[in-house]
Amino acid sequence: MMKVDPITLSVVRGILETTQREMTLSLEKTSRSSVLNLARDYSTSLFNATPEMILQGQDIPIHLGSLMPAMKAVANFFSGEIHEGDLILHNDPAYNGSHILDMCIYKPVFFEGKHVFWTVCKGHLTDVGGPVPASYNPEATEIFAEGLRVPPIKLWEKGKQRDDILNMILTNMRARRNQEGDFKALIGACQLGEKNLINLINKYGLEKVNLCIDELLSMADKHMRTLIKKIPNGEYTGTATLEDAGHGLGDLDITANLTIKEDSCEIEISSPPQVPYFINSYEGNSYSGVYLGLMMFAQLPPPYNEGLYRCVNVNMGPKGTLCNAETPAPHVNCTTTPMETLTDAVRLAFEKAAPDKVSASWGHSNGCNITGFDTRNNEEYVTMVLATLISGAGATPTQDGWHACGPECCMGALASGDVELIEYSYPIILHRYSLVTDSGGAGKFRGGSGTCWEVEPLDQPMTFIMFGEGRKYPSLGSAGAFSTLLENKVGRVEIKRNGKVDVIKKNIIETILPGQRVANINPGGGGFGNPLERPLEKVIMDVKNGLVSKNGAKEDYGVIFSDQDSN
Amino acid sequence: MRTHYRLGIDAGGTFTDFVLADKSGNIKIYKTPSTPDDPTKAIEDGLKIISEDLEINPSDIISQSDLCINGTTVGLNALIQHKGSPVGLICTEGHEDSIEIRLGHKEDGYRYDPDYPPAVMLSPRFLRKGIRERILSNGKVKISINEDDVREACKIFVDEGVSSIAISFIWSILNPSHEIIAEKIVREMMPNAFITVGSRLYPQIREYTRTSTAVTNAYLSPTLKSYVSAINEYFISLGGENNVRYFQSNGGLATGEVMTDRSVYAINSGPASAPIAGLSIANPFKYKNVITVDMGGTSFDITLTKGGSTNLNKNVDFLRYRIGVPMIQVETLGAGGGSIGWIDEMGLLQVGPQSAGANPGPACYSKGGEKPTVSDANLVLGYLNPDGLIGGKLPLNYENAFNSIEKNIAKPLGIEVEKAAYGIFTIVNSNMVNGIRRVTVERGYDPRDFVLVAGGGATGAHITALAKEMGIDTVIVSKLSSGLCAYGQIISDVKYNYMATIPTRLDSIKAAEKINKTFKEIESKGIEHLNKDGFEEKKINTYRSLEMRYVGQIHECTVNIDFFEITEETLQNIKEAFHNRHEELYTYSEKDSPVELVNIESTIYGRIDRPNYSELENKGQINDALKISRNLIFSEKGNALKTPVYDGNKLSPGNLIDGPAVVEEDTTTLVIENGWFLELHKSGTYIIKRKKPIS
Repeated sequence: MMKVDPITLSVVRGILETTQREMTLSLEKTSRSSVLNLARDYSTSLFNATPEMILQGQDIPIHLGSLMPAMKAVANFFSGEIHEGDLILHNDPAYNGSHILDMCIYKPVFFEGKHVFWTVCKGHLTDVGGPVPASYNPEATEIFAEGLRVPPIKLWEKGKQRDDILNMILTNMRARRNQEGDFKALIGACQLGEKNLINLINKYGLEKVNLCIDELLSMADKHMRTLIKKIPNGEYTGTATLEDAGHGLGDLDITANLTIKEDSCEIEISSPPQVPYFINSYEGNSYSGVYLGLMMFAQLPPPYNEGLYRCVNVNMGPKGTLCNAETPAPHVNCTTTPMETLTDAVRLAFEKAAPDKVSASWGHSNGCNITGFDTRNNEEYVTMVLATLISGAGATPTQDGWHACGPECCMGALASGDVELIEYSYPIILHRYSLVTDSGGAGKFRGGSGTCWEVEPLDQPMTFIMFGEGRKYPSLGSAGAFSTLLENKVGRVEIKRNGKVDVIKKNIIETILPGQRVANINPGGGGFGNPLERPLEKVIMDVKNGLVSKNGAKEDYGVIFSDQDSN
Repeated sequence: MRTHYRLGIDAGGTFTDFVLADKSGNIKIYKTPSTPDDPTKAIEDGLKIISEDLEINPSDIISQSDLCINGTTVGLNALIQHKGSPVGLICTEGHEDSIEIRLGHKEDGYRYDPDYPPAVMLSPRFLRKGIRERILSNGKVKISINEDDVREACKIFVDEGVSSIAISFIWSILNPSHEIIAEKIVREMMPNAFITVGSRLYPQIREYTRTSTAVTNAYLSPTLKSYVSAINEYFISLGGENNVRYFQSNGGLATGEVMTDRSVYAINSGPASAPIAGLSIANPFKYKNVITVDMGGTSFDITLTKGGSTNLNKNVDFLRYRIGVPMIQVETLGAGGGSIGWIDEMGLLQVGPQSAGANPGPACYSKGGEKPTVSDANLVLGYLNPDGLIGGKLPLNYENAFNSIEKNIAKPLGIEVEKAAYGIFTIVNSNMVNGIRRVTVERGYDPRDFVLVAGGGATGAHITALAKEMGIDTVIVSKLSSGLCAYGQIISDVKYNYMATIPTRLDSIKAAEKINKTFKEIESKGIEHLNKDGFEEKKINTYRSLEMRYVGQIHECTVNIDFFEITEETLQNIKEAFHNRHEELYTYSEKDSPVELVNIESTIYGRIDRPNYSELENKGQINDALKISRNLIFSEKGNALKTPVYDGNKLSPGNLIDGPAVVEEDTTTLVIENGWFLELHKSGTYIIKRKKPIS
């Protein structure tokens, strides 16, 4: 029997959702860097005092999985020392942060002198110092060569900002003015959330609110258990391959062993030893990958909370491995690589356990950062270009994948930004941002198309820094999907100089001059089901729309156009 | 004489409302079922009802009206049902997919459910043609337009039978020359096509928004054109001439010609008149801060007006299409009398957005509806008259309502039917409260500073409960409330918006000069337009707004200003207003950071005289109005309370009624909870107040 009445429960859930939504909106509107205000690479969530995540915002999945262990590490660090008016800052993966660019603000919420909730905001800042602008350093062999690590520290103590600490942190960052504005935006959002939660308690009383929250957590738990119980008991294994995108150590396999026991499951990850390259994932970040793979099976509509994961036991494998890295492993690329391969491994294990129920993989992230000098305002600029990450979505058991909606680690939450706003903010000319023909994985339901982002610097040299992968193996299909024409289903970078095109598939740093162009091409999503079962009229429409070429129709779908010549 | 009447016609989803005001100040409301397939049919039906009631020929009404104003859902329906005309898009090469990439994300964040579909393309990929041309962010031409590319595109459009074209190039707002050339070529090659030019329709920064707005406009133009022609012809046949106007989603009237050209302004035509009606109804009580809520059969619409100025939306996703042009912010929820209560996957009670509509309708209508709706809950709670609504014309069946709630809600949740009914009532209220937050808290307003004005037939039963939840002390309900929007239309002015983008840091004298000059330029276009519509200078008003941000921010914050010369000095005041607005919205401001202007906008009004009003007569003693006592349920405990029920038609101005009580009007029922009292004002409006104000 329920402890609280079902009506109040529904109302409290609605208020929690509204609270989180208002935090997210505030962050989008006030932040300074395009990574936050255009691309929405931020997340907000609410925790109770335990701390358990009571509402996971519909922001970036890679932030939110790791927030649960991170919140616990932070609360534990300051255990017994958390006061009204405190504000905690943290980014360090050694305390379960995702990567050091994701700065996270934790605000304890007090009611009548008692610590009752946390409001939490995490945002990807454009730079946290280190030798390479934007802090993506493919040459780092240790985390110390990547940027500033911030273990849990108090940015405010009992209501007073520690200006010395904030100054020290900003002093270590490029584009200081932007970073400072973004800190203010993150803090503002946490304050807004705090205000709403206090109102909620004033209305229903703390005890009732907490009862409702406990009930919401246990309902989510029950729901996940019902889904898992439908899978036969047993062990299922998924192995996905992480391509060598520049470290020279060869491809690396990540394996997920899934054991279903009645209504709960255990997921055990095994991955190779950590590498002296920035693709190691510390434990916190790996939680995001595992939970994302799980959710590609569960496919639940929002809202989400930590109760969903109670019946899931995760073992990341021994310390010192790729998916359970330890200091001093370099890691900045981890939120995309190897996270998306880890997600695929878990997704695959679930696909074996529940065939035909699991959506296909999405295109992996292969993107870039750009930096240079802006003569329009005589300032250095640096930014991650989130538009370059937007890949195709995987097809689902019921429909084609969305075009341009990825990457996998963001599941549709990331935004590319308006071309005019980007050209207004940075001295570049964006020549192309379009869908890529034949990029969606073939299947009864086709994967979504990936994107091509082609740019030329306006009047000064521009440094182009690549990261990610997805340039060798196409996105995994599901339920028997397979592609034959593979060229456009993987990503690549094309540098166009003096009429010559260089195709690059490894992470490098290049200088691009005015008059030269560079194009970042992203993979499409995986297909679902046998492509030969795709209805003919859909193939014909795809060809008419240029999403599939005539050659693609022939190779991938076995459809030959009678007017087909040599193309 | 064309001054005897003014007619307002608001075509809603279920009903078309008519408001007829006459010279002596009588205002009457009529309703007839909507006829979406043939909009003139509902007008004909309505005029017939009016003519029977007043014993006058329809042609006498029309020919003696100074204005006949149409609020319409044709644009909205065409967009919902994807029945507009597929659009050929002419755009910058390399950016053909902008409207399909849609900034690369799902509008409401990530979600894992596998059935959530992408938006339907109004211009499919094979009709989007890239042209070799490029203008840069400083307005200079990098690549001159290739005119042959435009001709090639037109040939394909002709072959595909496309009749509606949108032209939208990158940075055309800083240099429209390429769009002008392309337009000329399209006009030559496709003389009968509808053409929408991006920089003309929406001259502001953001390519995706501008292109999407232009495509949506082009998509709707042919539909609006045939609608406007049919309506105009119909009115002319009845002796009307230049007196037909259309209501726009910006909250003002437009001629048919403008409506066809700027069809995108028609998409939320009806509900956008609620703020004007709300202000007018609240005016006798001197309230200027008004939230209107309008609950019909399927939806609940909310608007907000503070200090006489109404919340606007720009650059929002409307029915999943990005629309730039300003629209009155109408927050619409699937929460009406027909909204269905159900239990979700997690075992929680939810209400809406699915609706039983008018057909089959709530279970209590006994027209085959089996699902429990908000109206069923209200009947079980005793709020609605079990003898039926509209004076018994719409009978209600208590047993059907009770059984439906029992079977679908009470039993699965293991609670009593009365509690389940109260649960439906509470949750639909809670949804509405969250919706009201979107127009208040999210916009930086405190709901406690506002009065609530009720519109629509179903709102009355919820109004004190809603006000209580929001902390609002005063509620206003007009006897005309069920036709709130049609009433708003007959008291509206002609309204056109003019915009420009001038990215400028606000720290030099030059900035002030430039802004002043641009305002004057765009305003002169508006004045010219209104002169053509027959307005003299003294009937024209101009309102200005500026969209600003801190340097480095991307999203702007709008500040409304009065009409004055922009000088270095007044610019300081404008900056100050911006800091304050930023703090209202986001909890902080940065007075030392540089501020930049992005967009400016002038709204030009052509003022129309409002109809007269007459005062309500005395009807007799209050006890004569008391009909009966009914058992009502006011709490989750489910116990009933004997509550007096009054006939609103028999109440006199000045009558006071203490809650709990029910007042039944012909087209709405007011439920006044304990702790509130009601007074009928001589303007024909009920004012309901909390006995112990919160603040």
